[in-house]
Amino acid sequence: MAKTATSAFKKSSNWVVQAILIFGVLVTIFPFVWVALMGTHSRSDIFSSPPPFYVGDRLMENYAKLLEIMPFWTVLGNSLFVSVLGTLGAVLFCSMCAYGFFAFDFRGKNIIFGIMVASMMVPPVLTLIPFFLTVKFLGILDTHFALWFPGVANAFGIFLIRQYMVTSITRDLLDAAKVDGASELRIYWSVVLPLIKPALATLAIVMFIGLWNNFLAPLIVISSPDKYVLTLALRSVQSLANSPWGAVMLGTFLSMVPLLLAFVFFSKQMMAGLTAGAVKG
Amino acid sequence: MKKILLAAATSVAMIASSAMAGDVRLDGFPDFNSHLDKLIPSFAEKNPDIKITYQMNNHGDHHKKLTTNLATGSGAGDVVIVDVGFIGSFINAGGFENLSGSAYGADAMSGEFVGYAWNQGKGSDGNQYGVPIDIGPGVMYYRRDILDSVGGEIDGVIKDWDSYIEYGKKLKAKKVFLIADAADVAKAIILTTVKPGEGYFFDNDGNSLITSQRFVDAFDVAKRIRDEGLDGQIGAWTNEWYDGFKQGTVATQLSGAWLLGHLQNWMAPDTKGKWGASNLPDGIFGSWGGSFLAIPKQAKNKKEAWEFIKFLTSTSEAQIAGLKNIGSFPVLKATYSDAAFDEPIEFLAGQKARQLFAQVAEKVPAVAPKKGDLIAEDVVFRGALLEVLNDGKDIMAALKDAERLIKRRVK
Amino acid sequence: MPNYSPPDKTDAKGVWIFGDGTPADYPVRKSSSKLISRKRRKALMPWLFISPYLILFGLFTAFPLGFSIFLSFQEWNPVSGLSGMKFVGFENYISAYDDPWLWKSLYNTVWLAVASGVPQHLIAIPIAYLLVMALKSGLRHIYTATMFIPFITSTIAVSLIFYSIYSTQSGILNQWLLLAADAPLIGWMFAWVHDVMPLRWLGSSSLIKPAIAFVVVWKYTGFNIVIYSAGFLTVSKELYDAAKVDGCNGWQQFWHVALPMIRPFVFFALTLTIIGNLQLFEEPYVLTAGNSGGVSQSGLTASYYLYLVGWEWLEMGAAAAISWMLFLFIAIVTSLHFYFNGRKGLEGNR
Repeated sequence: MAKTATSAFKKSSNWVVQAILIFGVLVTIFPFVWVALMGTHSRSDIFSSPPPFYVGDRLMENYAKLLEIMPFWTVLGNSLFVSVLGTLGAVLFCSMCAYGFFAFDFRGKNIIFGIMVASMMVPPVLTLIPFFLTVKFLGILDTHFALWFPGVANAFGIFLIRQYMVTSITRDLLDAAKVDGASELRIYWSVVLPLIKPALATLAIVMFIGLWNNFLAPLIVISSPDKYVLTLALRSVQSLANSPWGAVMLGTFLSMVPLLLAFVFFSKQMMAGLTAGAVKG
Repeated sequence: MKKILLAAATSVAMIASSAMAGDVRLDGFPDFNSHLDKLIPSFAEKNPDIKITYQMNNHGDHHKKLTTNLATGSGAGDVVIVDVGFIGSFINAGGFENLSGSAYGADAMSGEFVGYAWNQGKGSDGNQYGVPIDIGPGVMYYRRDILDSVGGEIDGVIKDWDSYIEYGKKLKAKKVFLIADAADVAKAIILTTVKPGEGYFFDNDGNSLITSQRFVDAFDVAKRIRDEGLDGQIGAWTNEWYDGFKQGTVATQLSGAWLLGHLQNWMAPDTKGKWGASNLPDGIFGSWGGSFLAIPKQAKNKKEAWEFIKFLTSTSEAQIAGLKNIGSFPVLKATYSDAAFDEPIEFLAGQKARQLFAQVAEKVPAVAPKKGDLIAEDVVFRGALLEVLNDGKDIMAALKDAERLIKRRVK
Repeated sequence: MPNYSPPDKTDAKGVWIFGDGTPADYPVRKSSSKLISRKRRKALMPWLFISPYLILFGLFTAFPLGFSIFLSFQEWNPVSGLSGMKFVGFENYISAYDDPWLWKSLYNTVWLAVASGVPQHLIAIPIAYLLVMALKSGLRHIYTATMFIPFITSTIAVSLIFYSIYSTQSGILNQWLLLAADAPLIGWMFAWVHDVMPLRWLGSSSLIKPAIAFVVVWKYTGFNIVIYSAGFLTVSKELYDAAKVDGCNGWQQFWHVALPMIRPFVFFALTLTIIGNLQLFEEPYVLTAGNSGGVSQSGLTASYYLYLVGWEWLEMGAAAAISWMLFLFIAIVTSLHFYFNGRKGLEGNR
């Protein structure tokens, strides 16, 4: 840590910093706690006004109901499967593509990069029907493959990692490696990848969450109940009528826990990149 | 990893082998699953070679998925549930089987169903594409205790809109709202006072009726209620809405018969015996909600699908079960003489309300859906009406602006 | 201020050492005879690296894009199936051009993009800096993780929670405002509260936009904090040390050392915010409860409107035309951003 640089203002304004951060934490954690609390109440309580902000006594009942209305742990496993594969794929392929855009000058590079950024600007609302046609054409309807594969080399991830490479990897470094005779693949794998760990971790976080929370693609792609993912299963039991909201809120809360764990895991990796960051030449 | 792959492989095999002829999948939205869970065994007994499965998604997701399936010609179930809000635009688009055709012969059943609902399932070519499964006859739920506290009687309140508003003024002194949202009144008037031969928003030639007297009057009544401060400006399906029912701060609610089930099950179970149901004010008859069953053209097992539809819609057993299981009101007229209709309902202080619902159902006028209804409904109810009520925009100006947009969007 | 260029090669933990010793990891291939094929291979190299994107773009992006361009010249009720399309030329674009709800929704979109975009960065940059600089890593984890929670909260939870918070009679926002107005010390600051109560946060045309903007800021600031944290972590200790030697105080270190170094991250995060906010859909949709944008359509964004036209009014062709007009608008704004900020933002400090 850059202790020397910060010690001055650390002393004088430490409590201000802490106060700001704690306030931020309160604002952001509040809904999470609330969702957890709602999972312990009955439907009538949840929809009372004002809603209860204390621990209720229906936790076990809600849990039993949750298992009754959906194979909760199966769909959680499916979500995990899809999210992990998609995240691993994205970390690998996005960094590969990003390296392509970062390290080389080739004809058409700017145009392709431009198209890539532009493709992020197309409102996604309307591409559902052609996406379904594509998936059907490829014969991967009702497969998990269709959920994680299309996103493994996405514009967001490539752009993010390219930007990170720009700040943390110098030309000199690449040139030196080349002078030493390393192949491009080798440079990418053994020189560049270790240096961009924080970016990979950042991408992993965002991808994991995106895949986990995705529901439009599962909605139209998946038709076998045993392949449902968590978002789809949780949404499919919701109605204005008789949906067991206590169970749904409990499921919602439980579905957020793996995301939090994933975040903590990847953010450790991200901070571990501090060392790598200090290495840059 | 290996295990997961293996599981995936076996499930593929299972699906391949289980997709036999005779399988019928129904696509719908909750709470139909609770209903189906109880009914499927009974159907299976009579039709041992037809296997019924279902796939549920929430209301909005279901219709989005169905739209995608119909657009691409694949992926839909053998039977699909369509909400009344979408039925008009779905049945005329050609994605559903013509049930009037000789393979089905739906026309022969027409007399058994509540007239307006049956007609809503008819395409503009006069053929039947959807069969109603439940309906929502419109009534006014009211708090008896509040009514008594101002010494009123219900027939006097619902005589016309003026008497309804008068009632609201008396309630205002007691800090009780007449109704949660004044907009409901305008919607009710617009949808129930349609002249014969007209659509809700368009006439037979596709001309907009939005600036006609029906709309101006409806907006005017709602505006009077809002300006007098008689409504709570409370949106439906919010915590405050439920709270109004629980605390008795809202005296009436215009709604479909189905609201009863929600009130007694979870919205305000403690107010048992304090409620009553009556006709809508001003002698109007209308409906709130309703669902239809249809067979997509892409379906694989149409014959079996039709058998299942007939079972769900035209047997008293299934229709009465719907009423008992999930409170969906029967559309089959033969059920109205069932003993269940004579049961006094304790939540409504012993009123035999189902008879009232049945009477209302048979009096609701049939209005043919028109192209552009979905657009007009949004633009008028969620656009113009809210501008008039919440932002104080002039009624005619709001309706003219709405008409301009509708003309732009409905070709 | 002196211009700090990154110091020369450093060696920490011996992760990578250049210049001294033999590069044992690199077997040097001597294949002078195959110079031409090597050259060709070299030219193919970048394409090999970006091939995953090109393949996936071809498989999953190109067709939907082409389809939607094609669709914008058709009249199509999706329920009628693919054969139900009818060619209408530019009619969808022409009718979109003077569609009052489209212009209203574009105005709302820009309003919300600015009101919910600017605060995200103004909050995220300093907080990320504080997290990276001022805290031990254990504590930093806890703070970052909690601030990231809004981003992982599912939509259904967000809608339930904020509905309760914004609720007119019993919502805690109004309750707290009233409490503040009646409080002894700060009451005078909130004296206006009694005049404007009850505030209908989601039910009046003037409040709905700020209400939505707050939720967006709440939800995405944590995401930006993570991006910026990754950025600040790339700034090496030596730079700060050098700055300190030159007599920079904490503020100057932030402003003149850290901030210029993370310019590519600011550029990236801004690009995402511009694109994401101009496509804002979920929050307004949820907070207006499917009421087509609420009173006077003040919460109707362009993405929401094209959803409405396509999926609820079932006019997919018209919706496609609107989506391309929105695309054009986003592209113009992003191009301006690239034009003014792109040189430094894309190239970094190399």
